[in-house]
Amino acid sequence: MALLEVKDLKVHFPIRGGILNRKIDEIKAVDGVSFSIEQGKTYGLVGESGSGKTTTGRAIIGLNHVTSGNIRFSGVDLTNLKSNRRDIRKEIQMIFQDPYSSLNPKKSVFDIVAEPLRNFERLSKVEERKRVQELLEHVGLSPESIFKYPHQFSGGQRQRIGIARAIALKPKLIIADEPVSALDVSVQAQVLNFLKDIQKDLNLTYLFISHDLGIVKHMCDEIGIMYKGRYVEEGSRDDIFYNPQHIYTKRLIAAIPDIDPFKRQKLQEWRDEVEKEYKKHYDDYFDHEGLAYGLRSISNTHLVALPQKG
Amino acid sequence: MEHTNINVIDIDTEKAPSMTSIIWREIVRDKIALLSLIFLVIITAFVYGISLFLNQEEIVKVDLFAINQPPSSEFWLGTDYGGRDIFGQLIIGTRNSLSIGILVTLMTGIIGVVYGLVSGYYGGTIDNMMMRIVDFFLILPFLMIVIVFVAIVPKYSIWSFSLIMTAFLWMGITRIIRSKALQERELDYAQASKTLGTPDWKIMFTQVLPNLSSIIIVTMTLNLAANIGLESGLSFLGFGFPESTPSLGTLLGYARNPQTLELRWWIWLPAAVMVFLLMLAVRNVGEALKRATDARQRRG
Repeated sequence: MALLEVKDLKVHFPIRGGILNRKIDEIKAVDGVSFSIEQGKTYGLVGESGSGKTTTGRAIIGLNHVTSGNIRFSGVDLTNLKSNRRDIRKEIQMIFQDPYSSLNPKKSVFDIVAEPLRNFERLSKVEERKRVQELLEHVGLSPESIFKYPHQFSGGQRQRIGIARAIALKPKLIIADEPVSALDVSVQAQVLNFLKDIQKDLNLTYLFISHDLGIVKHMCDEIGIMYKGRYVEEGSRDDIFYNPQHIYTKRLIAAIPDIDPFKRQKLQEWRDEVEKEYKKHYDDYFDHEGLAYGLRSISNTHLVALPQKG
Repeated sequence: MEHTNINVIDIDTEKAPSMTSIIWREIVRDKIALLSLIFLVIITAFVYGISLFLNQEEIVKVDLFAINQPPSSEFWLGTDYGGRDIFGQLIIGTRNSLSIGILVTLMTGIIGVVYGLVSGYYGGTIDNMMMRIVDFFLILPFLMIVIVFVAIVPKYSIWSFSLIMTAFLWMGITRIIRSKALQERELDYAQASKTLGTPDWKIMFTQVLPNLSSIIIVTMTLNLAANIGLESGLSFLGFGFPESTPSLGTLLGYARNPQTLELRWWIWLPAAVMVFLLMLAVRNVGEALKRATDARQRRG
């Protein structure tokens, strides 16, 4: 059984206006998303800004209200569960996008990393400090840094503090919401490899949210592509990168930059071709509102939102 | 994770400049604020110290043989129309006015911080309801209710006067704190605390509150100046303390008599100067604190 199963998840935000602040419309941030993640795998959620990938992640961890659909985590439904939620919370943790705002500037590193431990585990002062130092050592920070404050660290180090906090309770699932997009490129690789290392060490499952296809290719086993709150394509890494079926996916993949200057001409031609195809077939692949159609499976692992013809 | 043998260490590495040291640097850099602070400390210590040895009963006792005397060696600042020593009244009056100012500031501060934090942190419907209550208090006619209150309360003390003022002055700081809390709760660190399973009240008071500390200090300091002024104003109008409980406002109130105003300056002038200096000094310190909380405005 999959560790996390999301079925037909919808998160709609009301738009209020007019007299009496009535609900006049809604934004369908996430509109019918289904996927499942196996234990120990990394699932990549890809899409442009505003495509609903972050909202999906936040809905799973409970930061956003779920309009309909259900989320099952190791068999427990998370959507209509209030009292038991605390135990489940322990199993799901999140790594935030911005390492500058996700750490409280007024708290020392010790307080930040110890926060989850204080909530769920009764430890003595000495044990607590020992655990925090172990966690910091685990993420590659010196144990002396526990008395420092977040602003004394670089972006990469701060993200490591965030990771130490997320793994403190030994969770099963970690939702990584663009964990490296606020970091500079030299530090990105370092943090990504480190994420992979601790995944092996602690048998973690990742839901990896990103807009950077290069990173997703490096990290993920399975990938879902989102556009305007819906899935356009889902499949294994190979399906998505070597056999993209949807014009949107093709366009995304064509946009990945290549470092080799000799291929520049060829790549440009390819991009132009994909762009032409995208423009030509746009009406076939998206409905009158510009939304993707329902998914259809074209192989065991590969689902595509193909046009509904015939 | 297996237990590695890390020794529990206790070292205090270089810390970020703490808020206290930033504030201190800012005040030292600003000579006027430094002078104001020294003045405030001296006046407060002096007034509270001396009044321990003064007998309020004795000072407010009417002495018909010594009415309206100008300053002399016996009465340093003369006497009023009841023969009461102005210097003693000034000391006790300053103490009473300061006490009220501080009490009102603290009480409005506590109510405002808790109320504003809860309202802003939860937002939505709760915020809406809580802020409508604030709006209700804002439209109440403050002065009229105080006048009625003075008329119906038999025993008028520093406490009851502070309470009635607090009832009408907690809304300002509440609104400031609420708007700040609305901003803070959207920040990732507050959201992160939620995902870590920290209960709401703990996020409010241990995560968000420390980030509001600077604005709380500044607002409360500036409120202190306003509250001292407000007490004096009310007493001047006759809606504050009776003459048996001197305050800066009751001393100023004697100036309503044209003869006193024109001929007997020693009765009201010291109190007027004291109110003026106190408010100015508190405000100067408050402005320095305000600058200290904003890195772009700092001088130090």
